[in-house]
Amino acid sequence: MKPTRVGTLTNVLLVEDSPGDVRLTREAFREANGAVQLHVASDGVEAIAFLRQEGQYADAPRPDFILLDLNLPRMDGREVLAQIKADDDLRTIPVVILTTSEADADILKSYELNANAYLRKPVTLEAFERLVKSINDFWLTNVLLPQRRPAA
Amino acid sequence: MNLPVLTGPPTPRLEPALSDHDASGAKYRGLLEAAPDAMVVVNQAGEIVLLNLQAEKQFGYHRDELVGQQVTNIIPEGFAERLIADDLRSAAEALAQQMGTGIELSALRKDGTEFPIEIMLSPLDSAEGILVTAAIRDISVRKAAEVHLAQREGSRRLVEEALRQSEESYRLLLDGIADYAIFMVGPTGEVLSWNAGAARIKGYPAEEIIGQNFSRFFPPEDVADGRPAEVLRLTAANGRYEEQAWRVRRDGSQFLASVVFTALRGPTGELRGFSEFSHDLSESREAGAKYRGLLEAAPDAMVVVNQAGEIVLLNLQAEKQFGYHRDELVGQQVTNIIPEGFAERLIADDLRSAAEALAQQMGTGIELSALRKDGTEFPIEIMLSPLDSAEGILVTAAIRDISVRKAAEVHLAQKVEELKRSNEELGQFAYIASHDLQEPLRMVASYTQLLAKRYKGQLDADADEFISFAVDGASRMQQLIEDLLAFSRVATTGNPLLDTSSEYALEQALQNLHWAIQDSGAVVTHDPLPTVQADDTQLVQLFQNLIGNAIKYQAPGIPLVHISAASDGLKGWTFSVRDNGLGIDSQYFERIFGMFQRLHKRDEYSGTGVGLAICKKIVERHGGSLRVESELGVGSTFSFVFAGIREAA
Repeated sequence: MKPTRVGTLTNVLLVEDSPGDVRLTREAFREANGAVQLHVASDGVEAIAFLRQEGQYADAPRPDFILLDLNLPRMDGREVLAQIKADDDLRTIPVVILTTSEADADILKSYELNANAYLRKPVTLEAFERLVKSINDFWLTNVLLPQRRPAA
Repeated sequence: MNLPVLTGPPTPRLEPALSDHDASGAKYRGLLEAAPDAMVVVNQAGEIVLLNLQAEKQFGYHRDELVGQQVTNIIPEGFAERLIADDLRSAAEALAQQMGTGIELSALRKDGTEFPIEIMLSPLDSAEGILVTAAIRDISVRKAAEVHLAQREGSRRLVEEALRQSEESYRLLLDGIADYAIFMVGPTGEVLSWNAGAARIKGYPAEEIIGQNFSRFFPPEDVADGRPAEVLRLTAANGRYEEQAWRVRRDGSQFLASVVFTALRGPTGELRGFSEFSHDLSESREAGAKYRGLLEAAPDAMVVVNQAGEIVLLNLQAEKQFGYHRDELVGQQVTNIIPEGFAERLIADDLRSAAEALAQQMGTGIELSALRKDGTEFPIEIMLSPLDSAEGILVTAAIRDISVRKAAEVHLAQKVEELKRSNEELGQFAYIASHDLQEPLRMVASYTQLLAKRYKGQLDADADEFISFAVDGASRMQQLIEDLLAFSRVATTGNPLLDTSSEYALEQALQNLHWAIQDSGAVVTHDPLPTVQADDTQLVQLFQNLIGNAIKYQAPGIPLVHISAASDGLKGWTFSVRDNGLGIDSQYFERIFGMFQRLHKRDEYSGTGVGLAICKKIVERHGGSLRVESELGVGSTFSFVFAGIREAA
């Protein structure tokens, strides 16, 4: 099967509890790529429900890419990451950590749980916009992603 | 001069006047000589009346140079003033206020050097009026130890120094003992060491006898019988040999001596030589009565113990200190009042003879715990000295209550601990606070920047200006917090100090400064740099901040920066970062190292004023100090010393 995404919307799931960061990310993606459909889960429990299409998320699309904060209410980002990577259906979705923490322990733990990359939230708007643009250019443009979930 | 009678503890009376060079004066001098401490007797005019050999040694004077002189020559302050009557107090009152208390003062040797002492005073009634006996203890070692408590670094060096000093004072004490000949001979009997007692009893000065064979101390008929070699053979075979026999003085006269020989063996058991501990028996006939008198005059609590660990004698101060009547203690085991650490030290066991056991302990201040009759414990320091008697060797212990000192030490250690903790907490607090402040600030900064970006030129001119102030303020605060975090990280997240190539660290720093160097056209040169004990990340940061500053605060022309290192021998390496920049007015040399200190307006040079504070903290964490030398318009040189270092790379 030939992977392709031409002519389709790219579904990105942002797991982030801060409304300010959500809006900032949304604005940055709007500038970087109009074809990105940004979905938001504001804690770990919502994120898992979204990915498993449970409850109010029964009709949710399967995201092509996940941006995950580490410090979240109810279920934190590490637990969300562990569940995604333990799930045969979800593990192929790239997960990139986007957080304010630069603690060595958090970085190590994330990669041990098979995060695809670890990024720190930049402190200036300009740098944040550049980062989102580079995420778009790399993960959503150049990287080839499987079009469908793996055969059961 | 009429003096009021002292109330309080009974005062020993020595009649007649001590200054008369008659039998009694001589007797008291004898008592003084046997005391373990340096002793000085002073009259009400502050003149020295008598002193012992230990005092001569301690102050470095011959006794003729001191007798009749003012005591202020050796104890400049705090002693004489305490003893002399003034308008408010009679002499007796002045003295009574001081008795029995350890007073810490500074003393002066003949060579001009000072040393700390503790004195204990006791009164002595004489025909001349009340005299004061001062027992003087050199507390250099203790003082050094107290300083040590307050210092976290270099502690090992201090302890070693204290040990060396206590060995030294032990040796001095042995040398100073005048009643006993104590000396060492080699395996074949050649004299290796010689104390004052040996010189006095046998009549040979040290320089004349060292290296000579000890057989000359034996009568000619014993030498003919091969007695000296026999004595060494017996000692080597049994570890110890004791005899009462005739000995010969330098002038040929003979005396009956009590002699104990001990074999000295090295760690692997090889014979290194022998120690001889001997005493002229004719001198000790009246020792008992004489000794009791001295005991009472001593300012410390004194307890005399025999080899079975039984208390033989004690003085009034000891009764008071332990809360017993003397009848309750004499004949009892010393372990009743000093449960541990004293008796064990003095009794022969399979490995050591009594003389050896004692010789190992003499003259050293030993800290132990003592028990009063009421069951309460208190800390003491004991000083031991030997006393030969018909019953064998007795041990005199001078016992000093060190509760106050101990409490002070504990208090100091607690304060140090508290200070350390509160410092750590403060560092942790600064880190957490600034980290958590970053989050909301990031929102303020990002959205004011977004406002500026989206709406510039769409509102009125005032709005544009207000927004630009908000944007500027938020970014500056972000920079401040970043720098504050970097500052607190120096202590909280530092790496261990390992061998680090400072040349490599410099290369890293120059790489990080690549653009700044290129933009300014600066020429950065350096000498070969050494390997030092350092946190590599912090060394890079240190170079980066100093060189960054050198380039930033630049006069017109090409910025020249040179980094060099010079060995200070044992102290370590002095690194210098020299520039040809603006220079700094000398009045600001201190201030520039403080937090948030800036010498320029923000529109001249950007920055938060934290860079040099970080540098200072890094250097201090490495045990060094950061300095600046500078001349306005010529340039600045920042230099720092890193300790504990190898050769240049």
